[in-house]
Amino acid sequence: MVGVGFGVVLKYQITGGTTGQTPGLWPAKTSVSLDAKRDTLILFAHPRCPCTRATFEELNRILAQCQGRVAAQVWFFKPSGLSGWSDSSLRWDAAGIPGVTVKDDIDGQQAGLFGAETSGFVLLYNPEGKLLFKGGITGSRGHAGDNAGESSIVSLLSGKPALFVQTPVYGCSLTGECKAPAESKSK
Amino acid sequence: MQSPCGIQIQMKNTISIPNEVLGEKVAARAKELFCEQLQNIITHTDKIFARLMIFQWLFGIFLSIWVSPRTWSGTQSQIHLHVWAAIFLGGAVTILPVLLAHFQPGKAMTRHVIAVGQMLMSALLIHLTGGRIETHFHVFGSLAILAFYRDWKVMISATAVVYVDHLVRGIFWPQSVYGVVSASIWRSFEHAGWVVFEVFFLLLSIRKSHSEMHLVAERQAKLEFVNEEIEQIVAQRTSDLRRETADRQQAEERLRQSQKMEAMGRLAGGVAHDFNNLLTVIGGYCSLSMPSLPPDSTLQRNIGEIHKAAERARALTGQLLAFSRKQVLQPRVLDLKDVVNGMEKMLRRLIGEDVELSTSFEPSIGNVKADPGQIEQVIMNLAVNARDAMPRGGKLTISTSNTVIDQKSQFRNRTLEVGQYVVIAVSDNGIGMTDEVKSHLFEPFFTTKGLGKGTGLGLATCYGIVCQSGGDIRVYSELNSGTTFKIYLPRTDAKLDQTDTTRMGRLPRGRESILLVEDESAVRALAALILREQGYAVKEACNAFEALALVRKTPFDLVLTDVIMPGMSGKALCDQIKDQLPKTKVLLMSGYTDDALAHHGVLDEGLWFLEKPFSPAQLTRKVREILDVPVEKYNGSATVALMAS
Repeated sequence: MVGVGFGVVLKYQITGGTTGQTPGLWPAKTSVSLDAKRDTLILFAHPRCPCTRATFEELNRILAQCQGRVAAQVWFFKPSGLSGWSDSSLRWDAAGIPGVTVKDDIDGQQAGLFGAETSGFVLLYNPEGKLLFKGGITGSRGHAGDNAGESSIVSLLSGKPALFVQTPVYGCSLTGECKAPAESKSK
Repeated sequence: MQSPCGIQIQMKNTISIPNEVLGEKVAARAKELFCEQLQNIITHTDKIFARLMIFQWLFGIFLSIWVSPRTWSGTQSQIHLHVWAAIFLGGAVTILPVLLAHFQPGKAMTRHVIAVGQMLMSALLIHLTGGRIETHFHVFGSLAILAFYRDWKVMISATAVVYVDHLVRGIFWPQSVYGVVSASIWRSFEHAGWVVFEVFFLLLSIRKSHSEMHLVAERQAKLEFVNEEIEQIVAQRTSDLRRETADRQQAEERLRQSQKMEAMGRLAGGVAHDFNNLLTVIGGYCSLSMPSLPPDSTLQRNIGEIHKAAERARALTGQLLAFSRKQVLQPRVLDLKDVVNGMEKMLRRLIGEDVELSTSFEPSIGNVKADPGQIEQVIMNLAVNARDAMPRGGKLTISTSNTVIDQKSQFRNRTLEVGQYVVIAVSDNGIGMTDEVKSHLFEPFFTTKGLGKGTGLGLATCYGIVCQSGGDIRVYSELNSGTTFKIYLPRTDAKLDQTDTTRMGRLPRGRESILLVEDESAVRALAALILREQGYAVKEACNAFEALALVRKTPFDLVLTDVIMPGMSGKALCDQIKDQLPKTKVLLMSGYTDDALAHHGVLDEGLWFLEKPFSPAQLTRKVREILDVPVEKYNGSATVALMAS
């Protein structure tokens, strides 16, 4: 029974979320700004996803290693018409990372443009708008630590080739039904 | 080596007690104490883990609710899988070890299950905290706590779980532990190496701990043996002290009894000496006067009464000397059956018609050496007591039997030595005695009879006579059932002495010369009168010096002398006469000799003795008996003649 339990937990831990169609070139309709001088890193996050906290830790490590070489933006999924939705500890964590710009993604419109369906989905574009990397920057669900996504981005930002240009992403779904949850309505 | 408690241990041979056997005992005890201590530690650690694991489980639930309460899909959410995992998986990991710790503490299985459970709990907590490096310290902390068991096998179990976890993850999902998509299997050794690193030092610590525990166990074992030895010595000393105290108390009791008897003896002896002289005179003159008076005259009756009173007084004096063991015994070899048979008629008269007398004798009864008169006195006293104990009649049984005492037996501070004895048992079915009465039974002047009915000297006399004869007397009594007195007398293989049966008839006469030495003039006059009346030529002397002077001048056939005299005793006179005139016979007479003639109450060999008070018949027969002993046999076989008297 214990073995089965650990098996279920492990499976849950290593099973990645879904990803949509990500454009290879910077989409024209997006309101996300592309940095003209540096690479642009975009992270789509669910403000209440517990697993995304590990992603922010990894983001923090990437930015610490590649200070000034990338423009980082975190877009939090925000359903329209729900007050206080984005007011979460995750948002504060993200805002606390030096060099990170935090923005709200109303009803996941921007995520949809970039094919982001799972919280923790990271995209790296060069100043010309070419997609360099897409995927998660944690090794498994909610687990911080060395992983393929993080090391690939660091390599790319260091001007080196990446071992992986795509990695699995672990987090809550961004594409769920956009209706107010019971606790949100009460607020 | 494998310890009895199932733990791998190393026994150090550090016992340095010289005695090998003791050393082995100490080593065995040390091993026992070591195992006992180790088992206590293991049981205690089981309890620690039982509490710890429950706490960890609750903490895991709290942690999961705090860190990842819900999982989201857009705006919809549900309880996060980690919460369920914390509750159910955490519970599954916790329950079995906790139950085992509770119901089977101290068992090897329990601690191994706990070790595995604890490491799985580490894995779960690491998972619940998102693989935080800090949570990995739970593994190292758990290993340290598992070291409390001081069992290297437990450490191996725990290490194995950690290693297998890393190995499996490394093979199937390397990124979850190594952060890379593919990793060499050797990396699992790197991770496990850090665990082994800690475990190595923990094992060293366990070994050191075992060593210290051994030392403590050995010291405790030695201490226990020393304590045990001290306790044994103390117990032995206490026992010795108690025995010595008891011996001293018994000795004091014997001394008190002895002093009491000595005092009584001195009193009795003092009284007896003078009293017997008086009784000799009274009884002697009565005996001399009665034949010359008309048989039915008043004077004859009156003198008869005086004579009876004198006889009773004589018996009383005899009893005083007997219980104080100051009488002179004249023992001879006896058949107790003959003694009892000889007394039967007299006893039937004594006990009356209401009491049935029954005798029983073992066929091959042995002989004893005792004073027949005194033994008769004992039987008579016991018979009188039996009669008094059966006021409404009953049965008095006198039996004799042989018995063997095969181990020393003590009664009333007297020890009956191992040997063969002849027993006279005097039994009645009377009222019996209480324990209180029994405890004072043989004390002089103790009586349960009414005033004037008993002197309290009867049993004391019996006791004195029997003890003086080298025997013992024992009493068995039950209230309202009866009493049995058993007299033990040492059995002898000597042949029976022949009884002189030529005592009756007229007083023997003679013409020999006799020197009478007596300081008490009345006694001297009476004895001289009796002897002269029987034809003897009597010369009188009032002391030993006068007697010696007379003897040196004129030879006498017999010197009849008192024993206790001022200046020189009769015994000293006897010795001088024997030295100077060896053919002169000497007859000693006394009512109390104060051991001048006897040792332990038995007359010394080579002496003739006449006990006061004596009757004219006793005096004349004794004198005749001695004068009739051939001179050539004198000094050589005098004792034989005496014994037959």
